[in-house]
Amino acid sequence: MALWIQITPGSDEPIYLQIVEQVGEAIAKGRLAVGDKLPAVRKLATELVINPNTVARAYTILEQTGLVTTKTGSGTFIADPSMRGKDAADINMLADRMDGIISRGLNLGIESQDIIAMFKDRIEKFLKTRQGLSGQHGKRR
Amino acid sequence: MTEYVLETQGLTKFYGDKLALDHIDLKIPRGCICGFVGRNGSGKTTAIKLLLGFLKPTAGSSRLLGCDSQDLTPAIRQRIGYAAEGHYLFRDETIGNLAGFHSAFFPNQWDGQLFWDMIEYFGLSKKQKIKHLSNGQRAQISLALTLAPNPELLIMDDPTLGLDAAIRRQFLEGMIELIMRQGRTILFSSHILGDIDRVADRIVVLEKGIIRADCSLEQFRTAVKKVRFVFSQSPPQTIDIEGLLNSRRADKELEMVLVGTADEKIAEWAKSAGAEEYQIIKQNLEDQFIEYTAPAGRNKPFAWEAK
Repeated sequence: MALWIQITPGSDEPIYLQIVEQVGEAIAKGRLAVGDKLPAVRKLATELVINPNTVARAYTILEQTGLVTTKTGSGTFIADPSMRGKDAADINMLADRMDGIISRGLNLGIESQDIIAMFKDRIEKFLKTRQGLSGQHGKRR
Repeated sequence: MTEYVLETQGLTKFYGDKLALDHIDLKIPRGCICGFVGRNGSGKTTAIKLLLGFLKPTAGSSRLLGCDSQDLTPAIRQRIGYAAEGHYLFRDETIGNLAGFHSAFFPNQWDGQLFWDMIEYFGLSKKQKIKHLSNGQRAQISLALTLAPNPELLIMDDPTLGLDAAIRRQFLEGMIELIMRQGRTILFSSHILGDIDRVADRIVVLEKGIIRADCSLEQFRTAVKKVRFVFSQSPPQTIDIEGLLNSRRADKELEMVLVGTADEKIAEWAKSAGAEEYQIIKQNLEDQFIEYTAPAGRNKPFAWEAK
């Protein structure tokens, strides 16, 4: 069971992107380690009650961004980070997301240097949870 | 080559002098779940009845599984499942008799195991009479009757109308279960866009008898964009941008609904019109549908073509 993937149909984020993001986050936070297997497409589609093509679409994007690799006949696995490419489109998407956050922050009346400080703080916390988790699951493979 | 299990060519229907369907051209490829959406009275039920040969078209034609809708043979009909809006069943029969009656139409393909598993799962039993059941329970029986023959093409007309969330979910589960089998195709109409978003990978939008979109759900999601521009003075009076469907203005702001316009074109327009800033607003499928079918201030130029 892949209980950690939760989708919200009818949200402004298409379902395949919700899956891409959650898998990406699980990898970034160390909940999924290199070599871990993702649920089979049909299994995840049945569990989440979504179209199998939607799951396949998400897995294709994850593969294109180098986060996972598909081995024919055996499944989809979390890829080695050294094999992950980052192209201009990814960087642009990231910049877009940051713009959204920055404008919300400014609208709330937060000064730009305080937004930068918040970013730093969040990154530190994020990396800490990752270290914590990788300590816990170090022997998983 | 893509194989189409459902095709229409110029399919048109008049009721008296009222035009219900206006030259619809549809092509639904095998293996997809297609959500069929449109506001009340847009012609969905008429289209479905024409497809199944229950109505005669005024002009044009349609084919299901390669066979003209007006000449569907019993052998072709056996491969097509249909659930009508409202789930009408023989009221005086028991579930057992109804199953016997239905299964006789599908001698080599009726999956009795599946049917009775579903009936048990729904907490129903063989001897219950239809007339003593609730709308939801009748819908559940209808779902089991529709899925038991393992249809190659399943057409459902607003199957979840008026059903509670749990039974609606069972319909969606049933659809996903069917589509997992090789080569199955489903067309279903619904007003619940969240359900369409959940299970469909293709969408057909019908409006006042005209097909407005027939493409993958992803293409539709990507194509319909709402953009808000902010100006230092009043926004320009004339807007010349490709794919403009609708626009609203308020003070120094201008909001546009665009279809199929590339992000670069939006950036170019913002620059040429002297906008201070602009934002592409994320929308869910329901908002996109409402914007897409909203009455425009001017005539809608097109049915949007997916590229």
